[in-house]
Parts: sequence; structure tokens; C-alpha cells
Amino acid sequence: MEFELTEAQQALQDAAVRLARDELCDDMIQRDAERRFSREGWKKCAEFGVQGLPIPEEYGGSGADPITTIAVMEGLGYGGKDSGLIFSINAHLWTNSIPILKYGTDEQKRRYLPPLCDGSMIGANGVSEPDAGSDVFSMRTRVEKRRGEYVLNGAKIFVTNAPVADVFAVYGTMDPRLGPMGICAFMIEKGAPGLRLGKPMDKMGLRTSPMSELILEECVVPESARLGREGRGAEVFNCSMAWERACILASCVGVMRRQLEQCIQYARTRKQFNQPIGKFQSVANRIVDMKVRYETARLLIYKVGALMCQNRSADMDAAMAKLYVSDSFVKSSLDAVQIHGGSGYMTEMEVERDLRDSVGSMLYSGTSDIQRNIIARGLRI
Amino acid sequence: MSPEEIKSTVRTHILAEFLPGEDPAALTDSTPLVSTGILDSIAVLGLVTYLESKFGITLEAHETDAQHLNTLTDIARLVQSKLSAA
Ligand SMILES: Cc1cc2nc3c(=O)[nH]c(=O)nc-3n(C[C@H](O)[C@H](O)[C@H](O)COP(=O)(O)OP(=O)(O)OC[C@H]3O[C@@H](n4cnc5c(N)ncnc54)[C@H](O)[C@@H]3O)c2cc1C
Repeated sequence: MEFELTEAQQALQDAAVRLARDELCDDMIQRDAERRFSREGWKKCAEFGVQGLPIPEEYGGSGADPITTIAVMEGLGYGGKDSGLIFSINAHLWTNSIPILKYGTDEQKRRYLPPLCDGSMIGANGVSEPDAGSDVFSMRTRVEKRRGEYVLNGAKIFVTNAPVADVFAVYGTMDPRLGPMGICAFMIEKGAPGLRLGKPMDKMGLRTSPMSELILEECVVPESARLGREGRGAEVFNCSMAWERACILASCVGVMRRQLEQCIQYARTRKQFNQPIGKFQSVANRIVDMKVRYETARLLIYKVGALMCQNRSADMDAAMAKLYVSDSFVKSSLDAVQIHGGSGYMTEMEVERDLRDSVGSMLYSGTSDIQRNIIARGLRI
Repeated sequence: MSPEEIKSTVRTHILAEFLPGEDPAALTDSTPLVSTGILDSIAVLGLVTYLESKFGITLEAHETDAQHLNTLTDIARLVQSKLSAA
């Protein structure tokens, strides 16, 4: 059992930390307040190769293995402050690029993957609906086949990146009675007739990651836009969720490390009652808990990466990692605010933003309850 | 492959994946699987993927409802019709 990154992986992670620290943090308080997405940051990440990490070289990526990919995402979280931007990249990678890679035709791969890797195209994923969240396969967006084309009607909500996206992975059902077996997936480009953005959605955290509703009104797409087999969109969706669950919280582990170091530093230098607050056991214990959570979270995430590198099933481990890391991230973010006292609650200190950013992790890619259901299913209870 | 062989293969899979700890005798050829909820919709998706890769067949969406997959007998009939059409 090997717990260290290779030299090459470590060097790449260090470079990602530098990229995030030096190039992605500008004007963060203001951008967060204004809910401003950084296209410049997106391009810098693409130039570094983030958007192409898990994509093979022939399609414009670097073909990095899952551990390397996780290491880079962890580095971006550790070095940076713009968790919204990194979240947007995660959504783009796991719910758009990966499904194309795994289920796309050669034509779809050649059309979309190179621009998705080089940053010139942004991807989004429209699956959730007002009445279909955790029970996503009860979606109502209808897919009708007419003269060899598909016609989509419905509305999607919570679509990360939608306001800036160029291509959407969209799911609909051919027959709601078929449940998961009636689902079809499509790649639909911005500007397609019948596809339009709905209301922008404002959020508690991850505010630099834009989100809106997506409306489909008599949206006609050719058969060549279908991703995967007809009626087998659930497989496409499950594949994207498997990758997302495994990798989306790697950057959060990086944030947990940054929080930990910041809290240790603060506990050593902030004095009350003539001594550093770290000398008070209550404060020290809080930091100890943050350290244990960080180390455990890291092990879980990298274990999933290792399983994926060996092409072994990681469904249950990914669900455990998602459940544990999100819960730990929220707890540690709250501890960080507590340790910084009143200053931690103030925007200027840049501690409270992590707490707001952390809460979504218990909801997206399947809520914590849904992760528990997946684990229980894996245990065959 | 005979219907009996198909049933036996699928029975082993269903017992291991969806009915662990159950008495194997409880899963007969006519035990309803979908209409009783032994196989929920997510499990049906898993079963369909399994049938396709195990028997090298392709199932259409309309063939994956309770009518076609409710019992081991139904499943064996469907698989065999696909195998003989190939
Ligand atoms: C930041 C963020 C980004 C997102 N990005 C996207 C995106 O890009 N594209 C997209 O399509 N969607 C996106 N979503 C939507 C997300 O996938 C859903 O919010 C999530 O699946 C939960 O669905 P819901 O919000 O409808 O909650 P519900 O499903 O209504 O759940 C409400 C509560 O009931 C619980 N619950 C529901 N069912 C069960 C059950 N079977 N067992 C136990 N408890 C249960 C849930 O855990 C939750 O606590 C995003 C969400 C967030 C927060």
C-alpha cells in the first residue's frame, strides 16, 4: 500500500497550487458578492490542462489517471479561494465531458471534446427538474420521436454553468411509465431552436459558479445528438454520477487543508487572556478534529482514485467518500469560523465564504441521504 | 442455451445481487420480481445491463417492463427469443 503521490503527481499538484494561488484569487470578495464567473480563470485552468485531465490525448486532453486528476483538483482547492470556479469545472468535466467520452459516437467526441478541453467550450448538465430531484428518473421532460428526429419539451432547474455554457447534456423520458428505462440523453448546443435559458438562480455559496433554469420548447434535435442508446440515458447519467461522486470533492479536501493551516496559524497568534487561543483545550480540540477529518477525507478520496485506476468498481467507496467528505467539509468550515471568532463571521477575513460554499456539497451529486441509500444497497441490506 | 440454463444463470445472479440471505428455494420460476418490488427500477436497469453483457443480446426499452421481466420464466423467454433471432 502506497500513500504518497509519485514525484510527477506531486510536481503537478504543486503547480496546480501555484496556479490557484497566483492566478485565480483576484478580487475574490467582490466577485463573490457580484456573483461573477471568471472566464479568465476558466481559460487559465484550461491552459494548465485541468479541463482535459481525464480526457485522452487524441481528443485534446492529457489522459491523466484518476489519482493524478484528484491530486490536481486537491491542489486547486488548497491553493485557491474560488471554489465556485472549481465547482463549475467539476460540473463541466464529470457531467458533460466524461459522458461524451464514455458514450459519445466518434463524431460527438471529435466535435466536443477538443473545445471542452481547451476551454473554448463550456459544458453543462440538465437533469434535475422541479419535481424530480433525488428521484431523478421520474423526470417529466418529454422526448418524442418524429420523423427520425427527437422533440424535447420540459424544464430543467439547478443547471450549473447554464448561463455561460455552449453545450448541454440534457435528459428526457420517452415514456414516464418506463422509469429509468425510458430515459434518453442528448447533447444540445446553445442556440438550438427551442432551447433557452430560464431564470438565473442565486445561491447561498459557490456564487461565482453561474446557474439557471433551462427550458425546452419544441426543441428539435437530430438523431446524431443522442448520447448513448435510445432509452438508455439512465446509464449515461449513472456513469457521470459515478465519476462526479468520486472526484467532485477532491478540491474540497484541498480547501480543508487550507482551512486547517489557517486555523493553526490563527490559534498560535491570536491572544486572549494573555495567551494564544490555541492553548485553550476547546480551541485545540476543534483543530484536532479538523485535522482528523482532513486526513480521513483524503484517504477516502484517494482510495476511490486507486480503485478507479485499477478499473475496479468504486460505487460504494465513492458514495462513502462523498458522504464523509461533504459532512466533514461543512463541520470543518463551521469550526474555522468558530476559531476565528467574530472576525471569522466577517466577509473580509475570507473564512465565512468556505462555510457557505461547503453546504452545497451535501446536496449536489446526490444528497447525503442518497449516498447512504447507495451504501445500504451496496451492503445488500 | 436452454431455458433451464438461462433461468439457472439468472437465478444465481438475482439471488446474489438482490436477495442476499434469502432461501434460494423462495425464488421459483414464477416468483414475481418487478410487480412485488424485489427488483425496483434501478435494479431493473442493473439486470438489463447484466443480461445484455452475459448473453450478448440487445434489449429495447419497451422490452424492459414488468411484462417481459417479471419472472425467471419471462426473462428466460425474452433472452431465448433474442438468442434465437441473432
Ligand atoms: C450547488 C448545486 C449544483 C447543482 N448542479 C446541478 C446541475 O448542474 N444539474 C442538475 O441537473 N442538477 C444540479 N443540482 C441539483 C441536485 O442534483 C439536486 O438538488 C439533488 O439531486 C437533490 O434534489 P432536490 O434538490 O430536488 O431535493 P429532494 O430530492 O426533493 O430532497 C429533499 C430532501 O429529501 C431527502 N430525500 C429525498 N429522497 C430520499 C430518499 N429516497 N431517501 C432519503 N432521503 C431522501 C433528500 O436527501 C433531501 O434532504 C445542483 C444542486 C446544487 C445544490
